[in-house]
Amino acid sequence: MARSWETMQEFEAFLNEGGLVEANDDMPDPYRQAVFTFIEMHANSELMGGLTERDWIPKTPGLRHKMAVLAKTQDEIGHGHLLYMVAADLGIKTRTQMLEDLFAGRSRFHNVFHYRAVTWGDQVAIAFLVDAAALLSQQAVFKNCSYGPYKRILRRIIAEEGFHMRLGEDRMMRIAEGTPRQRQMFQESLNRWFWPALQLFGPDSKPDDVLLRWHIKSERNEVLRDRWVQKFVPMLTGYGFTVPASELRWDDETRRWDVGPIDWAPLERTLAQGGPDSTRRIAEAADNWQRTAWVRAALSDGSDTASNGVDHASHMAAAAPV
Amino acid sequence: MREFLLAFADDEHLMGQQHTEWIGVAPFLEEDLAFSSIGQDELGHAAMLYELVLELNGLETSDPAISDPAIDKLAFGRSSSDYRSCHLVEYSTRHWSEALVRHWIYDTFEELRWRLLIDSTMTPLASVTSKALREEAFHRRHANALLDKLLEAPEARARIAAALKVIAPMVPGLCEPVAGEAEALAEGVTTGSIADLLEPLTEAANRRFAQLIDCGLVTTGFIGGGIIGGSQTDANSSDTNPQDYSHASSGRTQRSEFFDPLMTRMREVLDYDPTAVW
Repeated sequence: MARSWETMQEFEAFLNEGGLVEANDDMPDPYRQAVFTFIEMHANSELMGGLTERDWIPKTPGLRHKMAVLAKTQDEIGHGHLLYMVAADLGIKTRTQMLEDLFAGRSRFHNVFHYRAVTWGDQVAIAFLVDAAALLSQQAVFKNCSYGPYKRILRRIIAEEGFHMRLGEDRMMRIAEGTPRQRQMFQESLNRWFWPALQLFGPDSKPDDVLLRWHIKSERNEVLRDRWVQKFVPMLTGYGFTVPASELRWDDETRRWDVGPIDWAPLERTLAQGGPDSTRRIAEAADNWQRTAWVRAALSDGSDTASNGVDHASHMAAAAPV
Repeated sequence: MREFLLAFADDEHLMGQQHTEWIGVAPFLEEDLAFSSIGQDELGHAAMLYELVLELNGLETSDPAISDPAIDKLAFGRSSSDYRSCHLVEYSTRHWSEALVRHWIYDTFEELRWRLLIDSTMTPLASVTSKALREEAFHRRHANALLDKLLEAPEARARIAAALKVIAPMVPGLCEPVAGEAEALAEGVTTGSIADLLEPLTEAANRRFAQLIDCGLVTTGFIGGGIIGGSQTDANSSDTNPQDYSHASSGRTQRSEFFDPLMTRMREVLDYDPTAVW
């Protein structure tokens, strides 16, 4: 049965006690919007991640290797599919509206997918560094997420992302133990992808971050970012690669790696759809969407199947203000 | 026997490869998922068939550390004249409608082709066949479910007819056996020639695309008889259609113009460092 809360204080007390919000609850609009925007960006990122990798899927070296890569891509697109459904159930946009906003450059996706994978080494770096960063973030969300449908989907996503990361790690190790040309290729990929992967966590969380207050996220950006640095810096240097941070140092006192100051301008540019590959990526996706419109038109039976034909907007309008 | 198995393996390999090109750019997410799943199945069939070729040569294939590189050598490392793929799977589709039509034709044919092997005297081939047939049922159901709906809609119908005009002439080549098939027939490795599948495939296509025949977009027998007329304008009319790939009767020894660019693309990483393990 749908629940409602008289005041925001009451709602926040519910969240602080570990309460889980469900799709049919009369949640406060700002919470609904915040959860929606967060899940929409996650869904968009799964899809755009698939598009970043698709350039290299047909070139995967090896028949069974290609099957493994296809399985990974299938998972990623499957995640996007599930996430769009969860987001659509919030009643703010249908899946079609979300996709059209994405292809028109009106909504966001993770910074890393505004870059182009230019070599096979980039593909491995994405599977290794970027998937790990995404996994760390998702684990932190899952731990204490107050929105029930998202938390349940994340359980499955995290299990599958764990496999992807191990696949990426396995490929990275083959290269690390491989020929000088392979190692050089991966070092160049690392030079391109280390900072974008690190920037994926975002700048330090603000004290009044509602995502933290409403238990949509459970850990601060800087904590997650540091966890990634402490894992990957020693791993990469251990394999003989150079971490492309000129001020990288080991702090004997804190017993931690410090990558030095972080330039957030590249992240800001991707948020404004001005990343190195944003224009091409979005334009190609939009062009393709347009080229296949006839299929969707022919299959359409009047309802927006993307959101299971459920009209959540009317439900939202009826929701009592809190 | 090698040539007989390679013809099937090469078809499966290139068909799976072609499906990978449509992932992420299909009309909706469910189709991206379907093409990645079907692509995996076809590549899996190819790997199993290449393994049988290796076993003919006495290679022990139970250890992937040994069999995977050997499979890759067969899949990517032969000279183009040694491949026995048909032109249908070498062709680079330009529209999703072409990919869908090819998917239906190929999988309808593939199911018939596997059925010829279910009682094979080559026991490992018969066991690969029963696995493959289970998967093929899903592939066919998928293609049929889409076509059921799309053929009801006028614009989609015109686009599918245009795609058929490009794909249909390559179908006789799909049903063309290699010279080595005679040996496979004599030894009971296969119970029929794939040449005999052209007729049931054509009949199935006539039923499947009956709506197109009814509206005059294509004529009966369009598969066996090459390019089909039809008075309406081509729905993908901005295209120049590729050269006519109608039956070349070369025993699958001739590669199409699409093969070399496809193989170069597939080998890009392998060629970057031939000594590397990826």
